[in-house]
Amino acid sequence: MSVDRREFLSIAATASGAFVLGFWVPTQSNAQSVPGAAWYEDPATPEINAWIVISPDDTVTIRIGQTELGQGVWTSNAMMVAEELQCDWNKVRPQYASANRDAREKAPEWTLNVPGNGAKDPKGGGEPGFANRDPHGVNGIPDSLYRRMRTNAASSVKDGRYYLQLAGAEARERLLLAASDLWTVPVSELTAKDSIINHTASGRTTTYGQIAGRAARTPHPHPETIKIKSPDQWTLMGTERKNLDVPAKVMGKTVYGIDVRVPGMKWAAVKACPVYGGTVKSYDFDNIRQLPGVRSAVQFPIPDPALTRGRIFSGGVAVIADTWYQAKTALDRMPIEWEIPPAHAAFNTANMRQALLAGLDQPGNVRVNQGNVDDVFTGAAKVVEATYSTPYLARARMEAGNATVLVTDNRVDIWIGDQSPQETRFSASKITGIPEENVYLNLCHLGGGFGRNGNGPQAEQAIMIANAHRGTPIHLLWTREEDFIGTTYRAMGMARLKAALDAEGWPVALEVRTAMQEGGFGPEASFDVASRYYVPNYRFSNHTTKFHVPVGTRRGVGQAAHEFYRESFMNELAHAAGKDPYYYRRELISRTSLPYKDDMIRALDIAAEMSGWGKPLPRGTAQAIALEERGGETNRMATVSAMVHTVSVSREGKVKLERVDIAHETGFSLVNPLSVKKQLEGQIIWFYNDAMHQANTIEEGRIVENNFDKFRISHIDEAPPEINIRFFKTGHWLLGMGHDRATSVQSAIGDAIFQITGKRLRDLPYGGQDLSWSIPDPTQNAVPRQL
Amino acid sequence: MAFDLTVNGTRHTIDADPTTPLLWVIREHLGLTGTKFTCGIGQCGACTLHIDGQAIRSCSVPANVAVGKRITTIEGISPDGSHPIQIAWKELDTPQCGYCQSGMIMSALALLQRRPDPSDADINASVTNICRCGTYHRVRQAIHVAANLMKSRRQQ
Ligand code: FES
Ligand code: FES
Repeated sequence: MSVDRREFLSIAATASGAFVLGFWVPTQSNAQSVPGAAWYEDPATPEINAWIVISPDDTVTIRIGQTELGQGVWTSNAMMVAEELQCDWNKVRPQYASANRDAREKAPEWTLNVPGNGAKDPKGGGEPGFANRDPHGVNGIPDSLYRRMRTNAASSVKDGRYYLQLAGAEARERLLLAASDLWTVPVSELTAKDSIINHTASGRTTTYGQIAGRAARTPHPHPETIKIKSPDQWTLMGTERKNLDVPAKVMGKTVYGIDVRVPGMKWAAVKACPVYGGTVKSYDFDNIRQLPGVRSAVQFPIPDPALTRGRIFSGGVAVIADTWYQAKTALDRMPIEWEIPPAHAAFNTANMRQALLAGLDQPGNVRVNQGNVDDVFTGAAKVVEATYSTPYLARARMEAGNATVLVTDNRVDIWIGDQSPQETRFSASKITGIPEENVYLNLCHLGGGFGRNGNGPQAEQAIMIANAHRGTPIHLLWTREEDFIGTTYRAMGMARLKAALDAEGWPVALEVRTAMQEGGFGPEASFDVASRYYVPNYRFSNHTTKFHVPVGTRRGVGQAAHEFYRESFMNELAHAAGKDPYYYRRELISRTSLPYKDDMIRALDIAAEMSGWGKPLPRGTAQAIALEERGGETNRMATVSAMVHTVSVSREGKVKLERVDIAHETGFSLVNPLSVKKQLEGQIIWFYNDAMHQANTIEEGRIVENNFDKFRISHIDEAPPEINIRFFKTGHWLLGMGHDRATSVQSAIGDAIFQITGKRLRDLPYGGQDLSWSIPDPTQNAVPRQL
Repeated sequence: MAFDLTVNGTRHTIDADPTTPLLWVIREHLGLTGTKFTCGIGQCGACTLHIDGQAIRSCSVPANVAVGKRITTIEGISPDGSHPIQIAWKELDTPQCGYCQSGMIMSALALLQRRPDPSDADINASVTNICRCGTYHRVRQAIHVAANLMKSRRQQ
């Protein structure tokens, strides 16, 4: 049946009655604050610039264009502004920047060009990715007010540093100009520190709060004066700072999207077709309309792929009720029939795996072909070949997908935790026909991110439902099972690596073939640049196959799987050569001409030393090493580290990650080393789960593992008891920290299992496979310490 | 159907189906949103609160189970974040996204109330909440710090 249009209208009428006095917009900043902390909200006090408002009590409100999802961006972005502003860090309060204002205003001219990068990178790194301009931030950085509002690709520091530092510097210079104007003394005689301006000669002082009003009226300072500081001048950036939003988080006061309450709001529970590409054939609202609290039901189509970056999700149906639990229980009882594309229902993990394997036998898309791989294989002393696989993987952030949307005749309000608000603004406009300038996003913290909300259609669904209920705020919330349908997946993948070794065990030819679903992110993942470890003859090809699962940018994208392939294979080669895997890697890196090879060798050396590499270990315990680098094959920016994992396997086959030793470069400097440590600790757990527990399989076209009973996430008992992190300084800018910094957990656990049990596992995850072992001591397979 | 619940020391009359999971009564009827929904099937612990001092996964118990009992949520452990466990959590900068942390704190607090000086094995056995951000390393340290703070408060 179709939805009763009159029902919408009656709801709309009551709701709009409640809104006659205008919109009630909760102040997100207030909601995020700790009680007692002063947040500056008085619109009568002008801002210094679009990023900074200073109140008379010296509270500095810093507007953040990225979304806080646990990576610490509210703190690190604020640090970048405050470093230059030279304000009192204890009085800094972050607040989300307005995505609506971003639709209306262009970025100030002075943020578009960076006079100096803060420090000269010998490899030219540190240039912001400003070359491409894209209004929605997908394929480049917009030149709208807050520039890049996306939170992705571990790039918040890399891309934001320039204009955030510039914003701080611009405001500082205005404050100094205002004081100079007030006291009629030259600016050059003034100093600014911790929100206090001093004129030493006359002994006069003022505070930022006192002078802020005047500073706001001061003309833009001379561009010469707003250069950004180099890392050796930093006093705040580069120091460990606790995250500013943690006090609210330990009190349960942080407002996530799921916590938003708007007057007159109704709740929507939805079911989308569990087979992607499917739609609703019919549903029977009459069956449930009498249930308590139930208001209406609405069918929605497959969200327009133009709004979901080409991905095909599913059509579905929503039930709207007074509370979410009422909506959800009613929906569970509502009969729904699906229209499922038969070709999609025919997919299952086994036939998809077959298709990928068949892909590996094809020539594929040859991306690199150096030397003469085939000839070398023909005459090789030894050939090693291995085929690895990685499953589909969901992000499974803790906060289930949700969005609250109110559509009226010429305005859309959205309350959401969103990694890409500029895109959501665009979606809202496209779906409702209301211009982007009239779309207001009230951004909330996200309960985990790991990829733009799964690139999933939570916002698009909520906007479609609210658009059918104009005048009533609709809060859509997915069940966990629905969240597994609404997310995108890291593509399932396979790789075949084949190497020819010379008489001494060094690789003389390497062929790498990877296979992945078409559209999967990072099918080349740096294999297309270089093999990383030296080999004179190298060929890389990738192979894509069409499947129906929407794939997206899960943490680490293709890189995480590719690092598993590459580093696992290096361990296999070292064992085949009878050489120590640390020494083997070190030697092969030193033979390359990679731009960051010295940093890579240093990382390996430090990690090996930290871990006591080479010392005898108890039976049942083994160590494995790997490089963790991103961009290191290129001559641009890179982040380099190395890790040693100490792993035990009990005779019964229980795996334990005992200890992780990490040598991580800082580049010129990290912004907030505390957040980096937390990232590293968290990513160890993330990739441990990828290695041991997680897989999404497909049956009849549907995702099977759709809640945490089947999609396992480890508990505290599996966390490594010891994590040691040592930072070392290098001389370049870093590429980012947010996602692929502990991928080696995968290859290392696999290699430790091999060393201890003699079993070589090449399909992730390892959990659930028989890992038991017995005497005679299978550590015969272990690393021979030939140095 | 109305029934009464005592939450964080205040008695409330709830107008809802008494078999509604306690989580949704707490979140939707009482507006206490610190207690979180994640899995809805008792797997993750994000919805953990205390009933008579015991850690309970509130998504999986009907609200009427708590009638006549003392319910404590994250909002009830201190008015200002000054509970030793909150101080310890802040000291270690434990949360990342923070979404699991209310439940994590409530589980850890139940453990500390039962076992004021927990071993790592006690923590492993009792704090079985899921944290997708992987904050376990700091959670463990923070529990030990909280145990010490609580001990010194008791001695004062
Ligand atoms: S929401 Fe209750 S245990 Fe997950
Ligand atoms: S802090 Fe994000 S889920 Fe635990």
